[in-house]
Amino acid sequence: MKIITEKKFALLQRAESMSPRDMVQRAAAISGLFLLVHLAGFREYTGILNGTIGSVDLGWKLSAFLAGVYILVYLAFVILVPVLVLAAAVLTVGQRVITRAK
Amino acid sequence: MKTRINRILAGLAAMTVAVFIWLPCLHLIFLKSDSHFRQGQGLSPEAQHLAAWQIHLWTDPALREKELNKMRVSNAEWDFMGRSYLVWSLANMALRDPASRPLYLHTMDQIIDETLRLEKEQGMYFFLMDYAKQGPYLMQPAHSLFLDGEIAMMLASRRMVEDKPEYKVLLTQRVDAMVGRFQKSPQMILESYPDECWTFDHCVALDAIKMADYLDGTDHSRLIHDWIAMAKQKLVDPKSGLLISSFTTRGAPLIGPEGSSLWMVAHSLQLLDPEFARDQYERTRKQLGTITLGFGYAHEWPETWRGPADVDSGPIIPVFDISAGSSGIAFIGASSFGDDQFLTSLATTLDFAGFPSQTGGRLKYCASNQVGDAALLYAATLGPMWEKVEKGANHENNY
Repeated sequence: MKIITEKKFALLQRAESMSPRDMVQRAAAISGLFLLVHLAGFREYTGILNGTIGSVDLGWKLSAFLAGVYILVYLAFVILVPVLVLAAAVLTVGQRVITRAK
Repeated sequence: MKTRINRILAGLAAMTVAVFIWLPCLHLIFLKSDSHFRQGQGLSPEAQHLAAWQIHLWTDPALREKELNKMRVSNAEWDFMGRSYLVWSLANMALRDPASRPLYLHTMDQIIDETLRLEKEQGMYFFLMDYAKQGPYLMQPAHSLFLDGEIAMMLASRRMVEDKPEYKVLLTQRVDAMVGRFQKSPQMILESYPDECWTFDHCVALDAIKMADYLDGTDHSRLIHDWIAMAKQKLVDPKSGLLISSFTTRGAPLIGPEGSSLWMVAHSLQLLDPEFARDQYERTRKQLGTITLGFGYAHEWPETWRGPADVDSGPIIPVFDISAGSSGIAFIGASSFGDDQFLTSLATTLDFAGFPSQTGGRLKYCASNQVGDAALLYAATLGPMWEKVEKGANHENNY
Protein backbone atom coordinates (compact mmCIF):
# COMPACT_ATOMS: atom_id res chain seq x y z
CA MET A 1 0.00 0.00 0.00
CA LYS A 2 2.78 2.33 1.01
CA ILE A 3 4.74 1.47 -2.17
CA ILE A 4 1.74 2.26 -4.39
CA THR A 5 1.16 5.61 -2.66
CA GLU A 6 4.81 6.54 -3.04
CA LYS A 7 4.72 5.64 -6.75
CA LYS A 8 1.62 7.77 -7.27
CA PHE A 9 3.24 10.62 -5.44
CA ALA A 10 6.38 10.28 -7.56
CA LEU A 11 4.29 10.63 -10.74
CA LEU A 12 2.95 13.97 -9.49
CA GLN A 13 6.35 15.31 -8.50
CA ARG A 14 7.87 17.87 -10.85
CA ALA A 15 10.18 16.01 -13.22
CA GLU A 16 13.41 17.24 -14.80
CA SER A 17 12.73 19.52 -17.75
CA MET A 18 12.46 17.71 -21.13
CA SER A 19 12.64 14.30 -19.52
CA PRO A 20 10.04 11.68 -20.61
CA ARG A 21 8.18 12.10 -17.34
CA ASP A 22 8.17 15.89 -17.75
CA MET A 23 6.63 15.49 -21.20
CA VAL A 24 3.92 13.14 -19.93
CA GLN A 25 3.18 15.50 -17.06
CA ARG A 26 2.80 18.44 -19.45
CA ALA A 27 0.54 16.35 -21.71
CA ALA A 28 -1.60 15.45 -18.71
CA ALA A 29 -1.81 19.08 -17.61
CA ILE A 30 -2.94 20.21 -21.07
CA SER A 31 -5.48 17.38 -21.22
CA GLY A 32 -6.85 18.42 -17.85
CA LEU A 33 -7.10 22.03 -18.96
CA PHE A 34 -8.88 21.00 -22.14
CA LEU A 35 -11.35 18.91 -20.16
CA LEU A 36 -12.00 21.93 -17.98
CA VAL A 37 -12.69 24.44 -20.78
CA HIS A 38 -14.68 21.82 -22.69
CA LEU A 39 -16.93 21.05 -19.74
CA ALA A 40 -17.26 24.78 -19.07
CA GLY A 41 -18.87 25.09 -22.52
CA PHE A 42 -16.29 27.39 -24.11
CA ARG A 43 -16.77 25.47 -27.40
CA GLU A 44 -20.08 27.31 -27.90
CA TYR A 45 -18.23 30.59 -28.47
CA THR A 46 -16.09 29.43 -31.40
CA GLY A 47 -18.60 30.83 -33.89
CA ILE A 48 -16.26 33.81 -33.85
CA LEU A 49 -14.27 31.87 -36.48
CA ASN A 50 -16.90 32.77 -39.07
CA GLY A 51 -17.72 36.20 -37.68
CA THR A 52 -20.70 35.19 -35.51
CA ILE A 53 -20.92 36.39 -31.95
CA GLY A 54 -20.76 33.55 -29.42
CA SER A 55 -23.33 35.10 -27.13
CA VAL A 56 -25.32 38.30 -27.57
CA ASP A 57 -25.49 38.66 -23.78
CA LEU A 58 -21.72 38.39 -23.26
CA GLY A 59 -20.85 40.67 -26.17
CA TRP A 60 -18.08 40.50 -28.76
CA LYS A 61 -15.02 40.95 -26.54
CA LEU A 62 -15.77 38.32 -23.91
CA SER A 63 -17.11 35.87 -26.52
CA ALA A 64 -13.94 36.29 -28.57
CA PHE A 65 -11.76 35.83 -25.50
CA LEU A 66 -13.52 32.61 -24.47
CA ALA A 67 -13.34 31.35 -28.07
CA GLY A 68 -9.64 32.19 -28.23
CA VAL A 69 -8.93 30.32 -25.00
CA TYR A 70 -10.87 27.28 -26.21
CA ILE A 71 -9.21 27.20 -29.63
CA LEU A 72 -5.69 27.47 -28.17
CA VAL A 73 -6.27 24.78 -25.55
CA TYR A 74 -8.00 22.54 -28.12
CA LEU A 75 -5.11 22.87 -30.58
CA ALA A 76 -2.69 22.11 -27.76
CA PHE A 77 -4.76 19.04 -26.89
CA VAL A 78 -4.96 17.58 -30.40
CA ILE A 79 -1.49 18.56 -31.60
CA LEU A 80 0.81 19.10 -28.64
CA VAL A 81 -0.42 16.33 -26.33
CA PRO A 82 0.18 13.49 -28.84
CA VAL A 83 3.52 15.05 -29.79
CA LEU A 84 4.58 15.15 -26.14
CA VAL A 85 3.48 11.57 -25.52
CA LEU A 86 5.22 10.36 -28.70
CA ALA A 87 8.34 12.32 -27.84
CA ALA A 88 8.36 10.77 -24.37
CA ALA A 89 8.14 7.33 -25.96
CA VAL A 90 10.90 8.12 -28.48
CA LEU A 91 13.11 9.47 -25.70
CA THR A 92 12.52 6.46 -23.45
CA VAL A 93 13.28 4.01 -26.25
CA GLY A 94 16.34 6.05 -27.23
CA GLN A 95 17.67 6.12 -23.66
CA ARG A 96 17.19 2.35 -23.28
CA VAL A 97 18.99 1.66 -26.54
CA ILE A 98 21.91 3.88 -25.48
CA THR A 99 22.04 2.30 -22.01
CA ARG A 100 22.09 -1.22 -23.48
CA ALA A 101 24.78 -0.22 -25.98
CA LYS A 102 26.94 1.04 -23.14
CA MET B 1 25.28 21.74 -16.89
CA LYS B 2 26.45 19.56 -19.77
CA THR B 3 23.98 16.85 -18.73
CA ARG B 4 21.16 19.40 -18.68
CA ILE B 5 22.01 20.71 -22.14
CA ASN B 6 22.25 17.15 -23.46
CA ARG B 7 18.89 16.32 -21.93
CA ILE B 8 17.25 19.37 -23.50
CA LEU B 9 18.79 18.65 -26.89
CA ALA B 10 17.66 15.03 -26.70
CA GLY B 11 14.16 16.21 -25.73
CA LEU B 12 14.01 18.64 -28.64
CA ALA B 13 15.20 15.95 -31.04
CA ALA B 14 12.51 13.58 -29.74
CA MET B 15 9.89 16.34 -30.11
CA THR B 16 10.97 16.92 -33.71
CA VAL B 17 10.68 13.22 -34.51
CA ALA B 18 7.25 13.19 -32.84
CA VAL B 19 6.07 16.19 -34.88
CA PHE B 20 7.07 14.44 -38.10
CA ILE B 21 5.24 11.30 -37.02
CA TRP B 22 2.11 13.02 -35.70
CA LEU B 23 1.28 15.78 -38.18
CA PRO B 24 0.84 13.51 -41.22
CA CYS B 25 -1.35 11.21 -39.07
CA LEU B 26 -3.48 13.91 -37.43
CA HIS B 27 -6.15 13.96 -40.15
CA LEU B 28 -6.73 10.21 -39.72
CA ILE B 29 -8.45 10.85 -36.37
CA PHE B 30 -11.05 13.03 -38.10
CA LEU B 31 -11.26 11.15 -41.41
CA LYS B 32 -14.59 9.52 -42.26
CA SER B 33 -15.75 7.74 -45.41
CA ASP B 34 -17.25 9.97 -48.11
CA SER B 35 -20.61 8.24 -47.64
CA HIS B 36 -20.73 9.60 -44.09
CA PHE B 37 -21.22 13.11 -45.47
CA ARG B 38 -23.16 12.43 -48.67
CA GLN B 39 -24.79 9.42 -50.22
CA GLY B 40 -26.07 8.80 -53.75
CA GLN B 41 -29.34 7.40 -52.40
CA GLY B 42 -31.14 8.13 -49.14
CA LEU B 43 -29.72 10.34 -46.42
CA SER B 44 -26.20 10.21 -45.04
CA PRO B 45 -25.68 10.13 -41.26
CA GLU B 46 -24.31 13.70 -41.44
CA ALA B 47 -27.43 14.92 -43.26
CA GLN B 48 -29.73 13.22 -40.77
CA HIS B 49 -27.99 14.72 -37.76
CA LEU B 50 -27.64 18.21 -39.22
CA ALA B 51 -31.30 18.15 -40.30
CA ALA B 52 -32.41 17.05 -36.84
CA TRP B 53 -30.83 20.19 -35.32
CA GLN B 54 -32.17 22.50 -38.04
CA ILE B 55 -35.71 21.12 -37.78
CA HIS B 56 -35.50 21.33 -34.00
CA LEU B 57 -34.81 25.06 -34.32
CA TRP B 58 -38.12 25.42 -36.15
CA THR B 59 -40.00 23.63 -33.35
CA ASP B 60 -38.47 25.72 -30.55
CA PRO B 61 -39.15 29.44 -31.12
CA ALA B 62 -37.00 30.63 -28.20
CA LEU B 63 -33.97 28.65 -29.34
CA ARG B 64 -34.49 29.78 -32.93
CA GLU B 65 -34.66 33.41 -31.89
CA LYS B 66 -31.44 33.03 -29.91
CA GLU B 67 -29.60 31.45 -32.86
CA LEU B 68 -30.96 33.93 -35.43
CA ASN B 69 -30.16 36.92 -33.21
CA LYS B 70 -26.53 35.83 -32.97
CA MET B 71 -26.33 35.92 -36.77
CA ARG B 72 -28.31 39.13 -37.20
CA VAL B 73 -25.79 40.99 -35.03
CA SER B 74 -23.28 40.43 -37.85
CA ASN B 75 -25.43 40.11 -40.93
CA ALA B 76 -29.21 40.13 -41.46
CA GLU B 77 -28.65 38.32 -44.77
CA TRP B 78 -27.58 35.20 -42.88
CA ASP B 79 -31.00 34.96 -41.23
CA PHE B 80 -32.55 34.93 -44.71
CA MET B 81 -30.02 32.64 -46.36
CA GLY B 82 -30.26 30.15 -43.51
CA ARG B 83 -33.96 29.84 -44.35
CA SER B 84 -33.24 29.43 -48.07
CA TYR B 85 -30.58 26.76 -47.66
CA LEU B 86 -32.78 24.86 -45.22
CA VAL B 87 -35.82 24.88 -47.52
CA TRP B 88 -33.72 23.80 -50.51
CA SER B 89 -32.16 21.04 -48.38
CA LEU B 90 -35.52 19.82 -47.13
CA ALA B 91 -36.81 19.61 -50.70
CA ASN B 92 -33.86 17.42 -51.67
CA MET B 93 -34.35 15.38 -48.50
CA ALA B 94 -38.04 14.88 -49.23
CA LEU B 95 -37.12 13.54 -52.67
CA ARG B 96 -34.48 11.27 -51.14
CA ASP B 97 -36.59 10.06 -48.22
CA PRO B 98 -40.32 9.97 -49.13
CA ALA B 99 -41.28 8.44 -45.77
CA SER B 100 -40.33 11.65 -43.95
CA ARG B 101 -41.93 13.90 -46.56
CA PRO B 102 -44.83 15.18 -44.33
CA LEU B 103 -42.38 16.51 -41.70
CA TYR B 104 -40.16 18.13 -44.32
CA LEU B 105 -43.11 19.71 -46.15
CA HIS B 106 -44.53 21.04 -42.91
CA THR B 107 -41.18 22.63 -41.97
CA MET B 108 -40.71 24.08 -45.47
CA ASP B 109 -44.18 25.66 -45.37
CA GLN B 110 -43.52 27.05 -41.91
CA ILE B 111 -40.27 28.68 -43.04
CA ILE B 112 -41.68 30.01 -46.31
CA ASP B 113 -44.80 31.44 -44.66
CA GLU B 114 -42.83 33.15 -41.91
CA THR B 115 -40.30 34.55 -44.36
CA LEU B 116 -43.03 35.95 -46.60
CA ARG B 117 -44.80 37.41 -43.56
CA LEU B 118 -41.63 39.14 -42.39
CA GLU B 119 -40.93 40.46 -45.87
CA LYS B 120 -44.49 41.83 -46.07
CA GLU B 121 -44.59 43.31 -42.57
CA GLN B 122 -41.03 44.60 -42.20
CA GLY B 123 -40.18 45.25 -45.83
CA MET B 124 -37.29 43.93 -47.87
CA TYR B 125 -34.70 45.81 -45.78
CA PHE B 126 -35.36 43.44 -42.88
CA PHE B 127 -33.22 40.79 -44.58
CA LEU B 128 -30.63 43.16 -46.05
CA MET B 129 -27.55 44.74 -44.55
CA ASP B 130 -27.94 48.33 -43.37
CA TYR B 131 -26.09 49.91 -46.28
CA ALA B 132 -29.04 48.97 -48.53
CA LYS B 133 -30.70 52.14 -47.21
CA GLN B 134 -27.79 54.42 -48.03
CA GLY B 135 -28.87 55.12 -51.58
CA PRO B 136 -31.81 54.59 -53.93
CA TYR B 137 -32.12 51.56 -56.16
CA LEU B 138 -31.58 52.67 -59.77
CA MET B 139 -34.47 50.59 -61.06
CA GLN B 140 -37.76 51.58 -59.48
CA PRO B 141 -39.78 50.29 -57.76
CA ALA B 142 -36.93 48.98 -55.61
CA HIS B 143 -36.42 45.22 -55.55
CA SER B 144 -33.56 43.06 -54.38
CA LEU B 145 -32.76 40.15 -56.68
CA PHE B 146 -31.12 38.52 -53.66
CA LEU B 147 -34.51 38.22 -51.94
CA ASP B 148 -36.66 37.63 -55.02
CA GLY B 149 -34.41 34.92 -56.43
CA GLU B 150 -34.04 32.96 -53.21
CA ILE B 151 -37.72 33.25 -52.27
CA ALA B 152 -38.68 32.10 -55.77
CA MET B 153 -36.36 29.14 -55.42
CA MET B 154 -37.82 28.32 -51.99
CA LEU B 155 -41.33 28.30 -53.50
CA ALA B 156 -40.19 26.26 -56.52
CA SER B 157 -38.32 23.78 -54.29
CA ARG B 158 -41.40 23.16 -52.19
CA ARG B 159 -43.46 22.61 -55.33
CA MET B 160 -40.86 20.22 -56.73
CA VAL B 161 -41.76 17.88 -53.86
CA GLU B 162 -45.52 18.41 -53.88
CA ASP B 163 -47.50 21.17 -55.54
CA LYS B 164 -49.38 23.73 -53.51
CA PRO B 165 -51.81 26.04 -55.37
CA GLU B 166 -51.09 29.11 -53.17
CA TYR B 167 -47.39 28.80 -53.85
CA LYS B 168 -47.98 28.39 -57.60
CA VAL B 169 -49.55 31.86 -57.68
CA LEU B 170 -46.77 33.34 -55.55
CA LEU B 171 -44.03 31.73 -57.66
CA THR B 172 -45.58 32.90 -60.92
CA GLN B 173 -45.87 36.46 -59.60
CA ARG B 174 -42.26 36.47 -58.38
CA VAL B 175 -40.92 34.94 -61.63
CA ASP B 176 -42.94 37.25 -63.88
CA ALA B 177 -41.70 40.25 -61.91
CA MET B 178 -38.05 39.16 -62.20
CA VAL B 179 -38.40 38.38 -65.91
CA GLY B 180 -40.04 41.77 -66.47
CA ARG B 181 -37.13 43.52 -64.79
CA PHE B 182 -34.57 41.46 -66.73
CA GLN B 183 -36.29 42.58 -69.94
CA LYS B 184 -36.33 46.19 -68.74
CA SER B 185 -32.59 46.18 -67.95
CA PRO B 186 -30.48 46.89 -71.04
CA GLN B 187 -27.57 44.83 -69.60
CA MET B 188 -29.78 42.06 -68.11
CA ILE B 189 -28.32 43.00 -64.72
CA LEU B 190 -30.50 43.46 -61.63
CA GLU B 191 -29.67 45.00 -58.27
CA SER B 192 -29.47 43.19 -54.96
CA TYR B 193 -28.35 46.42 -53.25
CA PRO B 194 -28.44 49.92 -54.79
CA ASP B 195 -26.32 49.71 -57.94
CA GLU B 196 -24.70 46.55 -56.55
CA CYS B 197 -25.42 43.30 -58.36
CA TRP B 198 -24.23 39.77 -57.57
CA THR B 199 -23.47 36.81 -59.83
CA PHE B 200 -24.63 34.50 -57.02
CA ASP B 201 -28.07 36.15 -56.93
CA HIS B 202 -28.48 36.12 -60.71
CA CYS B 203 -27.66 32.42 -60.89
CA VAL B 204 -30.07 31.51 -58.09
CA ALA B 205 -32.82 33.65 -59.66
CA LEU B 206 -32.28 31.98 -63.04
CA ASP B 207 -32.36 28.55 -61.36
CA ALA B 208 -35.73 29.50 -59.86
CA ILE B 209 -36.98 30.62 -63.28
CA LYS B 210 -35.82 27.36 -64.83
CA MET B 211 -37.53 25.38 -62.06
CA ALA B 212 -40.72 27.36 -62.67
CA ASP B 213 -40.44 26.44 -66.36
CA TYR B 214 -40.25 22.79 -65.35
CA LEU B 215 -43.19 23.08 -62.97
CA ASP B 216 -45.53 25.23 -65.02
CA GLY B 217 -44.56 24.53 -68.61
CA THR B 218 -43.35 28.07 -69.32
CA ASP B 219 -40.23 28.67 -71.39
CA HIS B 220 -37.58 31.22 -70.45
CA SER B 221 -34.74 29.38 -72.16
CA ARG B 222 -33.92 32.38 -74.36
CA LEU B 223 -33.60 34.68 -71.33
CA ILE B 224 -31.30 32.18 -69.59
CA HIS B 225 -29.25 31.68 -72.74
CA ASP B 226 -28.83 35.43 -73.25
CA TRP B 227 -27.85 36.03 -69.62
CA ILE B 228 -25.21 33.29 -69.72
CA ALA B 229 -23.82 34.77 -72.95
CA MET B 230 -23.67 38.21 -71.30
CA ALA B 231 -21.97 36.76 -68.19
CA LYS B 232 -19.32 34.99 -70.27
CA GLN B 233 -18.62 38.19 -72.11
CA LYS B 234 -18.75 40.76 -69.29
CA LEU B 235 -18.51 39.05 -65.91
CA VAL B 236 -15.48 36.80 -66.33
CA ASP B 237 -12.20 38.04 -64.89
CA PRO B 238 -9.73 37.65 -67.80
CA LYS B 239 -6.75 36.77 -65.57
CA SER B 240 -8.30 33.89 -63.66
CA GLY B 241 -11.15 32.96 -66.01
CA LEU B 242 -13.41 33.05 -62.94
CA LEU B 243 -16.71 34.88 -62.65
CA ILE B 244 -16.48 38.07 -60.64
CA SER B 245 -18.75 38.31 -57.61
CA SER B 246 -20.36 41.73 -57.76
CA PHE B 247 -20.69 44.54 -60.25
CA THR B 248 -22.63 47.68 -61.03
CA THR B 249 -25.75 47.77 -63.18
CA ARG B 250 -23.44 48.58 -66.11
CA GLY B 251 -21.37 45.46 -65.48
CA ALA B 252 -18.32 47.24 -64.01
CA PRO B 253 -16.59 44.96 -61.46
CA LEU B 254 -16.98 45.81 -57.75
CA ILE B 255 -15.70 42.63 -56.12
CA GLY B 256 -13.64 40.10 -58.06
CA PRO B 257 -13.84 36.31 -57.95
CA GLU B 258 -14.35 35.19 -54.34
CA GLY B 259 -14.68 31.69 -53.02
CA SER B 260 -17.66 32.39 -50.77
CA SER B 261 -19.68 33.03 -53.97
CA LEU B 262 -17.98 30.94 -56.64
CA TRP B 263 -18.59 27.43 -55.30
CA MET B 264 -22.34 28.08 -55.11
CA VAL B 265 -22.32 29.87 -58.46
CA ALA B 266 -20.77 26.80 -60.09
CA HIS B 267 -23.47 24.64 -58.50
CA SER B 268 -26.24 26.99 -59.68
CA LEU B 269 -24.81 27.10 -63.19
CA GLN B 270 -25.11 23.31 -63.43
CA LEU B 271 -28.81 23.79 -64.08
CA LEU B 272 -28.26 26.58 -66.60
CA ASP B 273 -25.15 25.65 -68.56
CA PRO B 274 -23.44 22.43 -67.38
CA GLU B 275 -20.25 22.93 -69.43
CA PHE B 276 -19.73 26.48 -68.17
CA ALA B 277 -20.49 25.23 -64.65
CA ARG B 278 -17.87 22.47 -64.88
CA ASP B 279 -15.31 24.95 -66.25
CA GLN B 280 -15.98 27.37 -63.38
CA TYR B 281 -15.77 24.59 -60.79
CA GLU B 282 -12.48 23.26 -62.10
CA ARG B 283 -10.97 26.73 -62.21
CA THR B 284 -12.22 27.49 -58.69
CA ARG B 285 -10.95 24.16 -57.39
CA LYS B 286 -7.53 24.74 -58.94
CA GLN B 287 -7.15 28.35 -57.79
CA LEU B 288 -8.96 28.32 -54.45
CA GLY B 289 -9.15 24.74 -53.16
CA THR B 290 -6.23 23.20 -51.25
CA ILE B 291 -5.51 19.99 -49.36
CA THR B 292 -2.68 20.08 -46.80
CA LEU B 293 -1.77 16.99 -44.75
CA GLY B 294 -5.20 15.52 -45.51
CA PHE B 295 -7.13 18.65 -44.51
CA GLY B 296 -9.12 20.41 -47.24
CA TYR B 297 -9.89 24.11 -47.19
CA ALA B 298 -10.48 27.03 -49.51
CA HIS B 299 -9.10 30.50 -50.04
CA GLU B 300 -11.36 33.47 -50.62
CA TRP B 301 -9.30 35.11 -53.37
CA PRO B 302 -7.27 33.78 -56.29
CA GLU B 303 -3.66 34.91 -56.68
CA THR B 304 -4.69 37.25 -59.49
CA TRP B 305 -7.26 39.24 -57.47
CA ARG B 306 -6.62 39.89 -53.80
CA GLY B 307 -9.26 41.48 -51.63
CA PRO B 308 -9.88 42.09 -47.94
CA ALA B 309 -11.61 39.82 -45.45
CA ASP B 310 -15.27 40.76 -45.27
CA VAL B 311 -18.58 39.51 -43.93
CA ASP B 312 -18.76 36.89 -46.70
CA SER B 313 -15.25 35.49 -46.37
CA GLY B 314 -15.28 35.52 -42.56
CA PRO B 315 -11.98 36.07 -40.76
CA ILE B 316 -9.09 34.80 -42.89
CA ILE B 317 -6.63 32.56 -41.06
CA PRO B 318 -3.13 33.75 -41.92
CA VAL B 319 -0.27 31.58 -43.18
CA PHE B 320 -2.66 29.04 -44.73
CA ASP B 321 -4.95 31.83 -46.08
CA ILE B 322 -8.04 29.88 -45.03
CA SER B 323 -11.43 31.51 -45.43
CA ALA B 324 -14.20 30.01 -43.30
CA GLY B 325 -16.84 31.33 -45.71
CA SER B 326 -15.18 29.95 -48.82
CA SER B 327 -14.35 26.63 -47.13
CA GLY B 328 -17.96 26.19 -45.99
CA ILE B 329 -19.45 26.89 -49.41
CA ALA B 330 -16.76 24.70 -51.04
CA PHE B 331 -18.73 21.71 -49.72
CA ILE B 332 -21.53 22.63 -52.14
CA GLY B 333 -19.14 22.79 -55.09
CA ALA B 334 -17.33 19.56 -54.23
CA SER B 335 -20.60 17.73 -53.63
CA SER B 336 -22.20 19.01 -56.87
CA PHE B 337 -19.31 17.96 -59.05
CA GLY B 338 -18.62 14.61 -57.37
CA ASP B 339 -15.17 15.72 -56.21
CA ASP B 340 -15.04 13.06 -53.50
CA GLN B 341 -11.40 13.55 -52.57
CA PHE B 342 -11.88 17.25 -51.91
CA LEU B 343 -15.24 16.68 -50.19
CA THR B 344 -13.77 14.10 -47.82
CA SER B 345 -10.81 16.34 -47.01
CA LEU B 346 -13.17 19.28 -46.35
CA ALA B 347 -15.25 17.08 -44.04
CA THR B 348 -12.05 16.07 -42.24
CA THR B 349 -11.24 19.74 -41.63
CA LEU B 350 -14.81 20.35 -40.50
CA ASP B 351 -14.54 17.70 -37.82
CA PHE B 352 -11.12 19.00 -36.79
CA ALA B 353 -11.81 22.73 -36.70
CA GLY B 354 -15.59 23.08 -36.92
CA PHE B 355 -16.08 21.99 -33.31
CA PRO B 356 -19.02 19.61 -33.76
CA SER B 357 -21.52 19.37 -30.95
CA GLN B 358 -23.91 16.45 -31.06
CA THR B 359 -26.64 15.78 -28.53
CA GLY B 360 -29.55 13.42 -28.95
CA GLY B 361 -28.84 12.86 -32.64
CA ARG B 362 -28.80 16.61 -33.35
CA LEU B 363 -25.61 17.98 -34.82
CA LYS B 364 -24.39 21.53 -35.07
CA TYR B 365 -20.95 22.98 -35.61
CA CYS B 366 -20.04 25.53 -32.96
CA ALA B 367 -17.52 27.26 -35.25
CA SER B 368 -20.32 27.66 -37.76
CA ASN B 369 -23.79 29.17 -37.34
CA GLN B 370 -27.32 28.33 -38.49
CA VAL B 371 -26.72 29.46 -42.07
CA GLY B 372 -23.37 27.67 -42.22
CA ASP B 373 -24.91 24.44 -40.95
CA ALA B 374 -27.84 24.81 -43.37
CA ALA B 375 -25.37 25.25 -46.26
CA LEU B 376 -23.57 22.09 -45.12
CA LEU B 377 -26.90 20.28 -45.02
CA TYR B 378 -27.59 21.47 -48.56
CA ALA B 379 -24.20 20.13 -49.68
CA ALA B 380 -24.99 16.79 -48.02
CA THR B 381 -28.37 16.44 -49.72
CA LEU B 382 -28.22 18.26 -53.09
CA GLY B 383 -28.85 16.38 -56.29
CA PRO B 384 -32.44 15.18 -56.63
CA MET B 385 -33.97 18.59 -57.48
CA TRP B 386 -31.43 19.35 -60.18
CA GLU B 387 -31.83 15.83 -61.61
CA LYS B 388 -35.58 16.24 -61.76
CA VAL B 389 -35.37 19.53 -63.65
CA GLU B 390 -32.64 18.22 -65.96
CA LYS B 391 -34.72 15.15 -66.84
CA GLY B 392 -37.69 17.36 -67.60
CA ALA B 393 -35.51 19.78 -69.51
CA ASN B 394 -34.19 17.02 -71.76
CA HIS B 395 -37.30 17.16 -73.89
CA GLU B 396 -38.40 20.70 -73.14
CA ASN B 397 -35.18 22.65 -73.62
CA ASN B 398 -34.90 24.07 -77.12
CA TYR B 399 -31.58 25.86 -77.15
